[in-house]
Amino acid sequence: MVLAVLIALIAIALVLPFFVGTYGIKFTTRVMVIAILVVSLDFLIGVTGLVSFGHAMFLGLGAYTLYFISPKSEAVSALIAIPATIVAAAICAAAIGAIAVLARGFYFIMVTLAFGQMLFSLFHDTDVAGGSDGAYINVVPQFHIGDWLALDFGNRLNLYYFCLAALIASYLFLLWLTRSPVGRVLQGICHNEARVSALGFNTYNYKLLSFVVAGALGGLAGGLFASIDGYVTPDLFGWRESGLAIMMVVLGGTGTLYGPILGAVLFAILEELLRSPAMVGATIADHWLMALGFVLIGLVLVAPRGIAGLLERDRGGKPAAEPVEAKAPPARQPQPGKELATEELSRRFGGLVAVNGVTVGFQRNRVHGIIGPNGAGKTTLINLLSGVLPPTAGSIRLDGEEIAGQRDFLIARRGLGRSYQRTNILLPFTVGENCRLAAQARHPHPWRVSDAAYRQNEEAAVVNALQAAGLTARRHVRAAHLSHGEQRQLEIAMLIASGARLLILDEPLAGMGPEETARVVALLRDLAVDHTVILIEHDMDAIFAAADTLSVLVEGKLIAHGTPDEIRRDLAVRAAYLGQYGDSEKVPG
Amino acid sequence: MELVLIQILNGLQYGLLIFLAASGLTLVFGILGIINLSHGSFYMLGAYLSLTLTSWFGDIFLALAAGIPIAFAFGAAIEWLFIRHLYNRDHLQQVLLTFGLILVFNELQRILWGTQPHSVPIPAYLSASIQLSDTLSYPVYRLAVGAICILLALAMMLVIQKTRIGQMIRAGESNREMVEALGIDTRILFRFVFAAGVALAAAAGIVAAPIESVYPGIGERVLIISFVVVVIGGIGSIKGALVGALLIGLADAFGKVFLPQLASVVVYALMAAVLVTRPAGLFGRA
Amino acid sequence: MNAAATAEDTAAPVLQADAVNAYYGQSHILRNVSIRVMPHEAVSLMGRNGMGKTTLLRTLMGLLRPRSGAIRLRGADMTGERASAVARAGIAFVPEDRGVFPNLTVEENLTFAARPGRDARADWTLERVYGLFPRLAERRSNWGNQLSGGEQKMLAIGRALMTNPEIILLDEATEGLAPKVRDEIWATLRLITEAGIASIVVDKNLDDLFELAHRHMVIVKGEIVFDGPTAALRADEALIHRHLGV
Repeated sequence: MVLAVLIALIAIALVLPFFVGTYGIKFTTRVMVIAILVVSLDFLIGVTGLVSFGHAMFLGLGAYTLYFISPKSEAVSALIAIPATIVAAAICAAAIGAIAVLARGFYFIMVTLAFGQMLFSLFHDTDVAGGSDGAYINVVPQFHIGDWLALDFGNRLNLYYFCLAALIASYLFLLWLTRSPVGRVLQGICHNEARVSALGFNTYNYKLLSFVVAGALGGLAGGLFASIDGYVTPDLFGWRESGLAIMMVVLGGTGTLYGPILGAVLFAILEELLRSPAMVGATIADHWLMALGFVLIGLVLVAPRGIAGLLERDRGGKPAAEPVEAKAPPARQPQPGKELATEELSRRFGGLVAVNGVTVGFQRNRVHGIIGPNGAGKTTLINLLSGVLPPTAGSIRLDGEEIAGQRDFLIARRGLGRSYQRTNILLPFTVGENCRLAAQARHPHPWRVSDAAYRQNEEAAVVNALQAAGLTARRHVRAAHLSHGEQRQLEIAMLIASGARLLILDEPLAGMGPEETARVVALLRDLAVDHTVILIEHDMDAIFAAADTLSVLVEGKLIAHGTPDEIRRDLAVRAAYLGQYGDSEKVPG
Repeated sequence: MELVLIQILNGLQYGLLIFLAASGLTLVFGILGIINLSHGSFYMLGAYLSLTLTSWFGDIFLALAAGIPIAFAFGAAIEWLFIRHLYNRDHLQQVLLTFGLILVFNELQRILWGTQPHSVPIPAYLSASIQLSDTLSYPVYRLAVGAICILLALAMMLVIQKTRIGQMIRAGESNREMVEALGIDTRILFRFVFAAGVALAAAAGIVAAPIESVYPGIGERVLIISFVVVVIGGIGSIKGALVGALLIGLADAFGKVFLPQLASVVVYALMAAVLVTRPAGLFGRA
Repeated sequence: MNAAATAEDTAAPVLQADAVNAYYGQSHILRNVSIRVMPHEAVSLMGRNGMGKTTLLRTLMGLLRPRSGAIRLRGADMTGERASAVARAGIAFVPEDRGVFPNLTVEENLTFAARPGRDARADWTLERVYGLFPRLAERRSNWGNQLSGGEQKMLAIGRALMTNPEIILLDEATEGLAPKVRDEIWATLRLITEAGIASIVVDKNLDDLFELAHRHMVIVKGEIVFDGPTAALRADEALIHRHLGV
């Protein structure tokens, strides 16, 4: 269906110039150029999840780059002009993105908006390139091969087909990138950045990469746009253009890449229609922007998934009814896990000391439990261990190396993997894709566009992880369709696939029934063959059964550490926490 | 030296105006979770209300007294018609719908008031200037604007800190569901907060109208500057909005004197600097 | 304190749910749940994690709209009403995470939503709540986020009392609290029951629940599988072992 629509569109675009006049050709050229801008914006918004409200700045940057490199009275070579617009926009995107990508969510929207406005005022308020009046490019780019004029952007038809080719190339490039390993990480960031970061990816670099790629293609669009009329104006940078571009993305359907192209086409048709007094009457045509505003509002309220939402049904497929694999995973080779030790580790929040001078050691290839009442600082402690929070004081050593204060993805790369209290997986991905992304974290470079070099290794890691977690039969099921217990298993499988040798699990048994609990306890024991496991858990029966050592945390302090038997005998612990288990006859295990 | 003093006064007065606009933006974000691009339109509404109401009543302060309730009612209506549908939607849709609102408001403005710039008279009793030195004087009305902004800001802080509705607003900021479960209809609370934000922006527009002329697109500049202020101060923080607005006001005033062509660039550079050092703003919760 | 209860009060249930079905997205969480709570009665609600206890409380509170079935408070239909309307009609909710407002002081937390009840003479006032929880009086001007877990739970209960409800829904009344604090909370709950306020209490400590409530409900996978007095539940060891995991 989608493919048919796209092929039909290309076919129409190929023959269109023979049926419409020069106005139609120019109009369609403009639509195609805007479509390049919009598809690149979708790469940012829909694929990476970065809502930029300043994407038109790259349209302006590309256009002004062309203006600056064009000599007064002769054509610049298209072979220089096109790469120049792309490179200039990419450099600016790298500089702006380096700051903008620090911001998240609302801040990112506002910051990109502000940067767009900054460039607007730079070109509007100063005398550069004609200031607010804009400036003309007297001769637009050409390209000669010998005497033959191969490309002439001054020739409507010539420019038209060049823009069509550029649009198709941009689309295919972004599609390829989205489906490459890099794209897998970007989509992961879109759905759950914290998880991707915790796997060991430097999400900042990936987001910056996405920003630069989108900006570069925006620059290409800008150069072509300026070639249409041979004119540049500061308005190209304006937030109005950025807003309209977002609108086309949403109109078409975010994250689909082809949808926004349809959105750009539909928007152009809509605009022509609303501005035409013959079609809608003079009153509406005069105030067509208001009509457009209402169309936008209606779009948000009625069809938030855009055209693509109409073309595609649920892309996820139905929950598969495969049985859960029953047979036990084959025994794995014992391997050393990592060992972890803290000294006088503390973390303050204002006046509250959440973790207070904790000194504890976790030996390799053991299961270590951390218990304590709610608010005792357990989650803060593992946030410190995994680098989500920097400690206020104290040291953390992973296999003897100091890691306190390092960023979470760096710690993850040293082989520490963690799960979260609330299940933290990529719901729209399949089980296999989740593990695939995790396995990719073994080589987390943003310039990885091909799987070829690592495919075998990583595939083996995925198979091993799925097997260890008992999810082999669920490999092609979307994570969103798993049961709660299976989602927790998947989270553990991702940690195994990522190559972590020390697993920190935050309440892995929460919300599980007795059968699921027993299954996961067995899994935890089995994991210690080649991992060190640290877990927080409230289910006392399970943790006494699963753990080799227990650490008791109360009001941020470590009040006891030892084997389950020792802990059971510790009176102070009983008084402070175990409560109903205080009577030793009732203690499980 | 006098020049510096005048720029400080200008900067503070501009900063206070921007604070009124930005505080509404930050409140609406902090409590309703809505990113409202059409916030600048409410400043524009204020400016045009100032134009019309001053011509009716003959005095800017009567226009202010009448304009604030009108803007409040208008804000409540907009919340009921459009904004309330956005509470559980993602940023993208909020951005898009409020962008649509801007287009609608701009055309409404064109239909009602036309595209010509207008000016609003300063009341005769405030049209004098204070002599600062032999060569420099400062208009009294600008000082009055500063005073009005301070009064409105104090009133707002008093409401938030000391009244029951202020307690509800603060509670709603952290846990909307619990507020609802305690018997407070958060639909009405949210409508009130949105309308109050609109009224604050409009109040800024009303008192500023005699200083700057009234023209189409007047709200968009304020919107962008308010965003910058909110980013600098930290989203949701009123204190941050105040500090951010004064910083921006001063940066703008001095920028205009020392780097006339790059004044607005200075403002954005300030934002970038804050963002690099404190990604969640000066007073934001990271 | 509850001597004023009329014959009519005691005959009709204060809170009643009939064949309620509730969903989160696609998952069917509550299946044909019917319950009734009489005036002044404390009822326990038990079951393992993920069985639907919290969902049932949230549905009764109006925080989740049931797909079918009816919820009545003193005979008045509350089905599909907003939580604020349900609260004003006389139900109060103490969530598991306590829902204390961090940027309000203890006293503000207590007073900002306070409401008189049906019988103003028996109303809970600030003094009475401070009498019940002297720790809160000491910390009255502290911010909500400066309290310990136990103090937060007390504050949440006190705040619920200040709305003078007919019935309080308590989710995980003592989860994660130190034993001493737990005992304090249980003692308070018994006082509240004696004061004539009905309650549904979710907790994991059977002995304490048996001491507080005379009737108990057990929920398994969204269905009420047991509803009866303490003796009947104690007798059913298989049920206790299988569904309550003791």
